Amino acid sequence: MSEKRKDEIPLLEVDHLAVTFYTPHGTFHVVRDVSFTIQRGEVLALVGETGCGKSISAFAIVNYLLPFHPGESRVDGTILFEGKDLIAMPDSELHKLRGSRIAMVYQNPGTSLNPTMRVGLQMEEVLREHLGVESKQAHQRTVKLFDSVGLAEPDRIGQRYPHQLSGGMQQRVMIAMALACDPDLLIMDEPTTGLDVTTEATILDLMVDLKRRVNAGILFVSHNLGTVARVADRVAVMYAGQTIEQAPTSAIFKRSKHPYTTGLLQCVPQPPAEDRAGTKLRSIPGDTYAPEEGNLQACLFAPRCPMAQELCRTEAPEMLSVRDNQQSRCFFWNNVHKEIWGELEPRDEGLRESVEPVLSARNLRRFFGQWQRKYILFGPRVRLPVRAVTNIGFQVGTGRTLGIVGESGCGKTTVARLLVGLIPRQRGDILLRTEELAPLIEGRTDQQRAALRMVFQNPTTSLNPKLPARHAIVRSLQKLARLSGKDSRERAEELARAVRLEPAYLERRPEALSGGEQQRIVLAAAFAGEADLIIADEAVASLDVSVQAQVIKLLEDHQRESGTSYIFISHDLGVVRYISDDILVLYAGHIAESGPAECVLNIPSHPYTEALLSAVPVPDPDAMPTRIRLGGAVPTLRERFQGCFFAGRCPRKIGPICDNTPPPVNTGPDPPDHAIYCHIPPEELMKLQSD
Amino acid sequence: MARFIARRLGLICITLLVVSLVIFVITELLPGDVAAMILGKEATEESLERLREELGLNRPAYERYLSWVGDVLRGDLGDSYALKLPITDIVGRRLRHSVILAAFAFLVGVPAAVAAGIWAGIHPNTKLDRIVSMTGLVGISIPEFVTGLLLMLLFSSTLHLLPSSSIILPGVNPLTSPQILIMPALTITSVLFAYIMRMTRANVIEVMQADYIRTAILKGLPMKRVILRHLFPNAMLPTITVIASSFGWMLGGIIIVENVFAYPGIGQLLLRSIETHDIPLLEVVTLIVAGTYAISNLLADLSYAALDPRVRLG
Amino acid sequence: MIEIICSGLVATWRSIGNTLRLILRTWSGRIALPIVLLHLVLTLFGPWLAPYSPTAMPESIEQYQNLPPSLQFWLGTDQYGRDVLSRVMCGAGSLIATAGGGALLGIMLGAVVGMSSGYKGGRVDEVFMRVMDGLMSFPTLLLALLVLFTLGPSRFNIAATIGFVSMPAIARVVRSTTLSLKTMEFVQSARLRGESTFYIIFREILPNVLPVLGVEASVRFSYAILSVASLGFLGLGIQPPSPDWGLMISQSRRFLVIAPWVALAPMAAVASLVIGVNLLADGIRQATRMAKEEKHE
Repeated sequence: MSEKRKDEIPLLEVDHLAVTFYTPHGTFHVVRDVSFTIQRGEVLALVGETGCGKSISAFAIVNYLLPFHPGESRVDGTILFEGKDLIAMPDSELHKLRGSRIAMVYQNPGTSLNPTMRVGLQMEEVLREHLGVESKQAHQRTVKLFDSVGLAEPDRIGQRYPHQLSGGMQQRVMIAMALACDPDLLIMDEPTTGLDVTTEATILDLMVDLKRRVNAGILFVSHNLGTVARVADRVAVMYAGQTIEQAPTSAIFKRSKHPYTTGLLQCVPQPPAEDRAGTKLRSIPGDTYAPEEGNLQACLFAPRCPMAQELCRTEAPEMLSVRDNQQSRCFFWNNVHKEIWGELEPRDEGLRESVEPVLSARNLRRFFGQWQRKYILFGPRVRLPVRAVTNIGFQVGTGRTLGIVGESGCGKTTVARLLVGLIPRQRGDILLRTEELAPLIEGRTDQQRAALRMVFQNPTTSLNPKLPARHAIVRSLQKLARLSGKDSRERAEELARAVRLEPAYLERRPEALSGGEQQRIVLAAAFAGEADLIIADEAVASLDVSVQAQVIKLLEDHQRESGTSYIFISHDLGVVRYISDDILVLYAGHIAESGPAECVLNIPSHPYTEALLSAVPVPDPDAMPTRIRLGGAVPTLRERFQGCFFAGRCPRKIGPICDNTPPPVNTGPDPPDHAIYCHIPPEELMKLQSD
Repeated sequence: MARFIARRLGLICITLLVVSLVIFVITELLPGDVAAMILGKEATEESLERLREELGLNRPAYERYLSWVGDVLRGDLGDSYALKLPITDIVGRRLRHSVILAAFAFLVGVPAAVAAGIWAGIHPNTKLDRIVSMTGLVGISIPEFVTGLLLMLLFSSTLHLLPSSSIILPGVNPLTSPQILIMPALTITSVLFAYIMRMTRANVIEVMQADYIRTAILKGLPMKRVILRHLFPNAMLPTITVIASSFGWMLGGIIIVENVFAYPGIGQLLLRSIETHDIPLLEVVTLIVAGTYAISNLLADLSYAALDPRVRLG
Repeated sequence: MIEIICSGLVATWRSIGNTLRLILRTWSGRIALPIVLLHLVLTLFGPWLAPYSPTAMPESIEQYQNLPPSLQFWLGTDQYGRDVLSRVMCGAGSLIATAGGGALLGIMLGAVVGMSSGYKGGRVDEVFMRVMDGLMSFPTLLLALLVLFTLGPSRFNIAATIGFVSMPAIARVVRSTTLSLKTMEFVQSARLRGESTFYIIFREILPNVLPVLGVEASVRFSYAILSVASLGFLGLGIQPPSPDWGLMISQSRRFLVIAPWVALAPMAAVASLVIGVNLLADGIRQATRMAKEEKHE
């Protein structure tokens, strides 16, 4: 594409945007004061945690606030698009810009496409509406657009329905639809949040590519600092409905000038320099300033800020200029540096001797569904069972943490449920020290139930919404610790304090607690039985970054005090990297690699681990991603793998042997418990992966 | 897809079997001597006994059930006790009359209700919507016999526009004398309309919240297209199920409406057979009514499967 | 076990109280509540408040029959000379009691079947749901007619029939709610603690099923009233001389032209009651939605 035009007038100029919702329950200031600009050809990331108002700000640009709040709303400020104020514009005129000049891509592509209309048609109607092209032309342009976003078989894919496409493909369709009329402004609201890491990496690649090709300005809304570091040119950070810092990407990550930004960056697990140990995760104490509260004559971050002064509590700061293109909403931005939150402590590398394994699993297998024949009683077999977990085994040492990592469909959730007895295993054993555990939880003894506990992903649904928060903790104490009446109540309060919650919180209903508080209650209940091993199944996945760090800290502290082992299941390699002593990498129900964390995270690696590591977005704008990319999608798990389970997508496939023979287990030379399931011997892998 | 149909047909057969079993069991529990009912009070013990032999009433229950099922499947529906006529003759005519009422209600009521429901769902909480919703609420609250009698009061007694009863002489085709049909048809239609309109409105409101509607609007498509191509097909899917279930509900309404207007349809036949303890007739009529309902449910399931690509293609 | 049931009941009670408070905030609730309360008063105190006896016939029927509304007889008299107002007031009780009893029976049976079947899953669930499907394939009125025909129309039989006939639909709704609750982690956590099935169903799942049940209860109640009235109209309801509204309407058909008030009064009574209950149902639905919004904003 020819060189980009840098107009004098910014493409989009948002100035003191404020959005207020009026409800019978009160007035909500969801956006208080947001300002940013986007030039043509640049990507501005709008970053913040849950509730900061970033999505609403994005939707306010196209004036679509209905889903957030059906009642009365008010938008103040100005939004200038190529010099014209969108807020003042009548709806009929604004509607003409939608889809043609300003296009959007959404968070959840699966529900954002009409399930009863073929995707090609959904694309063509945009072309027909705005460009007035006829049927045949529309079809041709559709095929070209699908091709430009990297969809396989672009001429045939238009015939499919959304549910027949994978998440990544659906999002590519959405991006193609957004680009159909060559828009000037592209708004992307958390476009990769619902996708697997390896898929996310390919979509981010696409975005970087688009930046070159397309002359649009892109507004990229996200809470994931890693993705922001990869694609954004400039970043605007939001807190409690305000933009609090705006700067070019490298400045934000390396020289941020607002305490919140600095603190936030320290909450994200960074990849270690040479070895695994890095610095301890920071957490930001307190809670976000709520939208129900009015606008204060003070800095909204002051209650949580480590360098807050009298001035911060009496006057509201404006966006002050730090440098030519960096602003910060802090009176004392000049004093902001990395250590304002305290010294960065190195993690203690205490050797955790594994005396004897606390939990061993061998040859686990679990399939779902049955064989069904085509003509009810005879004919070829049609529906094969889903092979969720095929032959998985591992051990967890006392006081150690095993991280299980993999993407959707790898079987990690099923493994968790098998271990804990929610689903019965079909083959294999699970041993708690030396006792064999019954397949179903109902068949296990009370002591066994107390010894093995589980924390789930969604804290809101982990607590009964109709009962007070203490219910989960008290019942756990009563059933597992055999405490009753007064004892259980006292101990419940102790546990609450141990997870940094005031006992008064126990009386509240879960809805009155934030996500982080809810998850802490769940932790307290898990700690109640003095378990030997706690399984955390994506326990921090739905929490904000700053809250995530709090929960991880609690887990670490508890482990240090009580010697509890953990199995930490996650798709977030960054967190797993931080917390695990040993790592198990799963793919399509099989083990790809296992061993001590330092070994797994280093070369030699299984080709899948390699791809996974190179796909993880890292919150460091200078990091050059190694370009291992996986095509295709995770297999459907209905077929029995003749050869290697990864053969379909492996970038290091060596030949027919990968398709025909299951891979051998190669235990590494140095730590003998480092296992790689690959036809390529480790020494060879070491050589290949060293460039 | 073929599996789906096969399974559904299988379920229908089982359902009909269960229905026939239930009917048979119920009629078994009835008091009264069948033979006495047929021959009357003056019959002698011998003739009663002979009749019982003839009718096979002395055989054990399961034998009688099986032979009855066999007869029905062969098309031999037996004779009515009270009317002394083959049931097939009686039922055919009455069924036709009821079908006319049902057809009117469906062909007029359903499209109108769906259209009103869609309109109300797109403009929720506006003044007109409140009026429409209120009308719907009142419509499902007032029993059919109340509506029917009010109409009768208005059109027959006060305005003398329409006949108050809808008796049709044998041989007369009701379609040629529409004044008999108007009030019963209107009554049934009004209740059906209210019910379907409310459900459609609720479905539309729900679909309007969907993400893909947001996508369609923000793609810059005109509202007309959004409603026609994005809202309507997706809101119709659950509405079809609603329409099918309203069918069964309407069957009950037909019984009452026919009673109010003395309209000679299958509903009247049912009531008559209950009054006169005419068991064979009762069995057949019940089977027809229940069977029709089961088949309408099947059709709804099939159309849902045909229209929803997620079900069709798996 | 008794403790569990008691705490379940207490939760239900509190839930009802909360919902009532919220209902009064919705506009449909505000219209509905007075109407329903009026009918409730009539149900409980009708026989005492009525000016005349609903069943006693005067000595000389001809003198008093089919009189239009006057100061002496506010709503006129019927063909037997009985005061229509008194009959309407006394008819409320048996209608509401029968319909209410039937609906309550249906709710309880449906809730138990739905929760157990939904939670247990597997074969049990399959069997139960096939049976429910089978029952639902009968149009309600038809089944009611058959049963009453067989067993005879008494108030108890009518209530039992209505309860039995509404059970499948309620069981379906409760089952689908239970199925989605089953996947929620707090239920899984309860299993992991070793709670018994009984505990899980009544202490963990039931409180979350109540809002759905509340809406269903009001809907079923209105259907039940319509059914009882329709059965009365067809002559298979509550038997004379009991002042059943449906029966009153049916009997006054012959005199519709000369004495329309005899039919209009009970018609208005039935219609207003059902409208009130349906508005209340809408109010409950809105109230539950408002309660949810309040927590989330």
